[in-house]
Amino acid sequence: MRGIRVFFYYSVLAIVMFSSCVREEEFDDTPEGNLEALWKIIDQQYCFLDYKAETIGLDWNAARTKYRQRLSPDMSRLQLFQVLCNMLAELQDGHVNLFSSADMGRFWSWKENYPLNLNDELRDSYLGKDYKIGAGVKYRILEDNIGYVVYESFTDATGEGNLSDMLYYLRLCDGLILDVRGNSGGALTYSSRLASHFTNEKILVGYTRHKTGPGHNDFSTPEAEYLEPSDGVRWQKPVVVLTNRECFSATNTFVRDMRECPQVIILGDRTGGGSGLPFSSELPCGWAVRFSACPMFDAEMNQIEFGIAPDLYCSLTEYDIQRGVDTLIEAAREVIRRQ
Amino acid sequence: MAFGRTHQQDTYLSPLEYTGPQLTLMHETMRLTHRSQGRISFQSLLQGTFSLTQNSPATANDFGGRIAYDAGWHYNWKPLPDLRIMAGGQVGTDFGILYNDRNGNNPAQGRLSFDIAASVGGIYTFHLRRRPFIARYQADIPLLGCMFSPQFGQSYYELSRGNRDHNVCFAWPVNAPCIRQMLTLDIPFRRFSLRLGYLSDARQSHVNHIKVHDIGRSFMLGFVRHFTIQSKEKQ
Repeated sequence: MRGIRVFFYYSVLAIVMFSSCVREEEFDDTPEGNLEALWKIIDQQYCFLDYKAETIGLDWNAARTKYRQRLSPDMSRLQLFQVLCNMLAELQDGHVNLFSSADMGRFWSWKENYPLNLNDELRDSYLGKDYKIGAGVKYRILEDNIGYVVYESFTDATGEGNLSDMLYYLRLCDGLILDVRGNSGGALTYSSRLASHFTNEKILVGYTRHKTGPGHNDFSTPEAEYLEPSDGVRWQKPVVVLTNRECFSATNTFVRDMRECPQVIILGDRTGGGSGLPFSSELPCGWAVRFSACPMFDAEMNQIEFGIAPDLYCSLTEYDIQRGVDTLIEAAREVIRRQ
Repeated sequence: MAFGRTHQQDTYLSPLEYTGPQLTLMHETMRLTHRSQGRISFQSLLQGTFSLTQNSPATANDFGGRIAYDAGWHYNWKPLPDLRIMAGGQVGTDFGILYNDRNGNNPAQGRLSFDIAASVGGIYTFHLRRRPFIARYQADIPLLGCMFSPQFGQSYYELSRGNRDHNVCFAWPVNAPCIRQMLTLDIPFRRFSLRLGYLSDARQSHVNHIKVHDIGRSFMLGFVRHFTIQSKEKQ
């Protein structure tokens, strides 16, 4: 009977020990609790805190103090939303959003503070009415035998077959204009799929890292990212990629990749940036938050969070708009003709 | 079959705890082997668990599914004529997914683990109106194993490109305190027994700075059939 008693006591001890809970600290659903929860998410998981401290003077600790002072226990949800959005705006990141059922907090200065360099009517006039559409890609051959391709969003799924058929159709052209102005991103799978048709070799296009812990400097070793050549039709002639400030996120990465491909010129304005792969989380009140979690770099390990400069700067002029001409497309045609 | 509620938290997906209903389907076989004069029993336990949970503000849902299989061997003592004490070990595997319907690039968390567990229990047979009722308690505690986990801020996009970073983690009770407990009562009928029970299944881990708990408590309802395998000579 003594053996049974010892067995019983050990069993109870083991059950109590293994029943202890692995639990994350949860904040109250109060203005202060929500601000603290948001501050902690960014403090532990946001990937550009140190980089932005160096480049734009971000002080995330000071932001906590500053915005805590703007809280009051009886403030409305709308007021709280505004305070939290203002705190997030300190990060100056287009990938950072706060979502309530009524609104989406955002930072869009990366495009709103700059000229658009894109006129939809003008672009449509170049496409005409007989252009082709392969999944999300519109294309046609311009009068001077230059292929013109418009890819408006990398959320539009485009397969290898679509891209190969398009490039085969354009195969006799002297060059290609790839217009990604206004493309604010989408899936990296589609952006790298398109870029893979412009290289014959596996090329290093950049690096990526991720956070390995809650510290600001807890990052993994940079992992090289390579662009593998497509098994489909591969373009061998000059290419000009048209960019503007709206080229963000996956499109920013696309421009990074294309920059490493041979015979490619980037023309237009600096891209909008957005090189952090965004993650999601949420606050005690149920609002969702999106933030940059994994930084991506170019092939020289430079940050591209604030965009990529073009090889040739070019702006859409008011004079050209008046006469129905897209300055960037015409400049791209000229570049291809000269090559 | 077990119905109950579960409390889930996975900081890779959200810092909030999600709660909601859980359905567990379980298939168990147990038999005495010929080893050690018939004192070693073999147990096979297949468990499928499905859950639909919600965060406390009711703004997002998690859909969970998990399949676990354990094969166990127990040494059996009979300190009293109607009491059987079992102690032994199990080898098991656990595979599953937890999907959050609102997240972007971190929409789901995969689970895969292999473990060796300690397993203890007791079976007590008593009679009411000359019919044998069987009460059983069993606790299974993983002691040693390995589990998959993404790194703290690693995306599945990176994983899909072949980037690895401490994704196979050593698991033991300090970083993965788990326990499954079952308390059952078998009520005899003509050809089978009705099983009523309580299942408490706590799966937890804290690796790569990601905290996970999935604690389910369910009431079980099932049936038990007893088979006797006879050798040809005896037939």
